[in-house]
Amino acid sequence: MLRFLAGRAVGMAVTLVLVSVMVFAIMELPPGDYADRYAFRKYSGTGVTITEADVAAIRHTLGLDRPAPLRYLDWVGGIVLHGDFGKAYAFETSVNAIIGQKVWLTLGLLFVTLVLTYAVSIPIGIYAAVRRGTATDYGLTVLSYLGLALPNFLLALVLLYFANRWFGASVGGLFGQAYEKAPWSAAKLWDLVKHLWLPALVLAWSAMAYQIQTVRATMSDELGKLSVIAARARGLPEMRLLLKYPARLALNPVVSTIGFDVNRIFSELPIVAAVLGLTELGDLLLKSFLDLDMNVAGAILLLLTVVIVGMNFVSDLLLAWLDPRIRLGG
Amino acid sequence: MLSVENLSVTFRTDEGIVTPVADVSFALAEGRTLGLVGESGSGKSVTAKALMRLLPGTATLGAHSRMRYVDKAGQAIGIERLSPRARALRRLRGGEIGMIFQEPMASFSPVYTIGNQITEAIALHRGLKGRAARALAIEMLAKVGIASPERRIDQYPHTLSGGMRQRAMIALALSAGPRLLIADEPTTALDVTIQAQVLDLMRGLQCDLGMAMIFISHDLGVIAQVAQEVAVMYLGTIVERGPVRALLQAPAHPYTRGLIAAIPRLDRLEGRLHPVPGEIPSPSARPAGCPFHPRCAEALAGICATRVPEPVDLGGGRVVRCHLHTGERSVA
Repeated sequence: MLRFLAGRAVGMAVTLVLVSVMVFAIMELPPGDYADRYAFRKYSGTGVTITEADVAAIRHTLGLDRPAPLRYLDWVGGIVLHGDFGKAYAFETSVNAIIGQKVWLTLGLLFVTLVLTYAVSIPIGIYAAVRRGTATDYGLTVLSYLGLALPNFLLALVLLYFANRWFGASVGGLFGQAYEKAPWSAAKLWDLVKHLWLPALVLAWSAMAYQIQTVRATMSDELGKLSVIAARARGLPEMRLLLKYPARLALNPVVSTIGFDVNRIFSELPIVAAVLGLTELGDLLLKSFLDLDMNVAGAILLLLTVVIVGMNFVSDLLLAWLDPRIRLGG
Repeated sequence: MLSVENLSVTFRTDEGIVTPVADVSFALAEGRTLGLVGESGSGKSVTAKALMRLLPGTATLGAHSRMRYVDKAGQAIGIERLSPRARALRRLRGGEIGMIFQEPMASFSPVYTIGNQITEAIALHRGLKGRAARALAIEMLAKVGIASPERRIDQYPHTLSGGMRQRAMIALALSAGPRLLIADEPTTALDVTIQAQVLDLMRGLQCDLGMAMIFISHDLGVIAQVAQEVAVMYLGTIVERGPVRALLQAPAHPYTRGLIAAIPRLDRLEGRLHPVPGEIPSPSARPAGCPFHPRCAEALAGICATRVPEPVDLGGGRVVRCHLHTGERSVA
């Protein structure tokens, strides 16, 4: 067990280092750097002529002329040691100030989305497998294929339309207007919950459809296993039998793909954020790319990948907890 | 204690309706062992599963099928009439009739300890929980010859050897206190030496506990060691049944003769093997008349291919289904 965990932890650390290098490389890709921007911001409209030498001087004072590996170490060091993601170009402020609470909103949205995905797909998948071959099963299967086929942003638009018609109020964004800038309170939290279900549903949609198929397939396999027949042959009531034996094993593929689901959700985040007018990281990521604000984009990319890698680790832990063959290295 | 009459099972499949068990009748007295023998696909396992009502939803029992079981309290139960969700059926499964399977690995769930699965059966049928259930489970594991059972009980199935797993499976089935044990090829997946140990164990336990047993095997040699009576199945029909010695010494059905001749013998290494000629037809293409006639060297022209032979009582508990014994003569 310890060896398994240690192996996974080392793997995670290596992945994180590689990811940070890749993100740094992406940040370096666009032409122009903070010194260009700084000079442009400071002197545009003032009539001052800026020469290459001026920019180079700014670059030097900011330490941006040093070799890339050194700057990479600076950047990573700042993040790891001080939690400091550096300066934001476009906003003349630090990345931390911009990202701030949006990180928590994003993580909250992710968490709600995951819970929704599994709360819906696991029971439905199990039910469809138990009722395999019946009209209910076919109905659910068709619905889940629909879920896979329908693009998220389209679903977002449709839901937005209906939510608007039925609930009247503006349903875009994560907060009502009254609470957007308000300090945190119970009322603001409730307001968040009222707004969160829609983006969570849109983001969960395809993951749900996919996981229903996975659970149904594994559960169908498990139902035919001899161990299930053997448990039935010792007189176990059917409901207890289903939950204790096949359903438990049908969780394995779901648990082992939590990381993929997080990945899928993050990939869809920017577009869904744009359609639904969300003000969390997805929206910011899109904007920062458009502005070539690479420090912000890099910070967000890094945070999202850390979450994905972290969730992969969590899924390994859960899998080891669920399945003794993995835990005991059998 | 158990009597089965006219048991037929049909399955709906993509290739149409197949009948893996057709008109099977036998009876079993308390404490006795019946051996069910036949090639794969002869309907042995389906018969066993029908007795426990473990057949999948695509299976239907024939209208005249009767399975009468007298339980511990002396109550007669019509197994074929129990509703799938009935309490009585759950009591029957495990508590009255225990079952062990061919694959000891697959019969345990890999994600729970041996002890978890044994105490589950104990809780269901003996009403014991916690320590008492655990103590009984350890006692049962010791009884089936597992060394240091107090340690094994907390192990997962994949950490045990094949023979050990089958012993644990026997312990599980017996811990619920059944009066009848159905063993579906319990030793087929084991090495020959382990096989002998497990057979020995089962015979001993059966004597101790006074259980009846239905022992399913494709191996007449194994059946001869454990059973008092034997029923030979071919394509879902019992072609011959009777006391094991009499049947082996003077087989009445050509198929039984073929099976006995096909057993490899260590004392006659020079001779060739004598397989039963031909192959088992696919279950969806069941031959008309006597199901064995296409492979039978003694088939009577004009009779065996058209008429299903009725059971003939040969006396001494022996019954055979063969036109050679009905006094029919070849119609040229």
